[in-house]
Amino acid sequence: MASFSKEFSKGITISNPIFILALGLCPALAISYSLDNALGMSAAVIFVLLGSNIIISAARRIVPNIMRIPTFIVIIATFVTIVTLVFQAYVPNLYQSLGIFLPLIVVNCIILGRAEAFASKNPVISSIADALGIGLGFALALIVISLLREFLGTGGISISLFEQLFNAGSLSFTLPAFSEHPLAIFVLSPGAFLVIGLLMALFRWIGQKKND
Amino acid sequence: MANMLRKIHPIMFVTLVVLISVTLLVFTETLTSAVLEERRQQQIVDELGNIFPEIDNFVYNEEIEVFTLYAGGVTIGYAFLAIGAGYVGDIAIVVGLEDSETVKGIIIISQQETPGIGDRITGGGFISQFAGLSINAVNFKQDGGQIDGITMATISSKAVIDTVRDTAIEKVKQIEGVE
Repeated sequence: MASFSKEFSKGITISNPIFILALGLCPALAISYSLDNALGMSAAVIFVLLGSNIIISAARRIVPNIMRIPTFIVIIATFVTIVTLVFQAYVPNLYQSLGIFLPLIVVNCIILGRAEAFASKNPVISSIADALGIGLGFALALIVISLLREFLGTGGISISLFEQLFNAGSLSFTLPAFSEHPLAIFVLSPGAFLVIGLLMALFRWIGQKKND
Repeated sequence: MANMLRKIHPIMFVTLVVLISVTLLVFTETLTSAVLEERRQQQIVDELGNIFPEIDNFVYNEEIEVFTLYAGGVTIGYAFLAIGAGYVGDIAIVVGLEDSETVKGIIIISQQETPGIGDRITGGGFISQFAGLSINAVNFKQDGGQIDGITMATISSKAVIDTVRDTAIEKVKQIEGVE
């Protein structure tokens, strides 16, 4: 059980996919301009990562070595297509705003990376811990980035995801004086680079402090 | 023989994986397509009022997939969904007809044309040209019709024009067949 929590927590801290491993940056940069997007993308990635890690780890002894990568890609693509179809049917607005980055999870290097580096060499239980940890690490990173970008770029935060799903009310919060003159650069691409770069530096600085 | 088996084993394995994957996806697709179909129907209903502002009632004929629209008990037109292949993916258009010869208006409800080029088919300047045209005039000016295409987006414009005209002709036949 000690190893379960170790595999789980490493994804959030010492091998955080975005801030430390710098993997999966393409979707993180492109879609993190709103909290809705970040939540949707995180849910999709966690589902795909968990599913593919479980299947790949369970099948690791029967997959022929030379067909390893093609098999992994087919398994990952299956989960991604399921997510894409489900999003299209049940959360159409989110499906629209994630656009091409939803099907592109197939080639997200976090997922293939975990399959190749971890799930194909470890038992199912640790692979689940690994998937949850890395997935949650990705989700937390995306949420922090999108909170900063959406707040600085629009002067407020609004979540309409739950409204689409359960007909619940939408949550939103705006800072009146600020929302009239927000720093629009933060919802644009340069803002994504700025925010991710600064957070990455901050993360590493904290890591170094801890080591000293 | 054993050697042979060792060689084809990986191929058989991946084939099996793909088969399982396809089965799963077909299953998921059947589940979600029903939801999508329902949503699309709702989308058409939502657009009816934009094409026919005076509409107060409609009847949907499931067999020929045509909405008959009424205002104050009088038939004011027909509407249906036209789907055709664009440059990138399918273009779905709600077409409104005033009578069996005249287009009332069209609205594009989904398309995946190239952003900034083909997706200008959704712009008002292009769409508004269809209003009031006779079905046979739905064509490029150089082809004997009355519509100006969009510069650099000939394929997307032609897709919309052909889809609207061909579907309209077909639906009119069906409507007249029913009545």
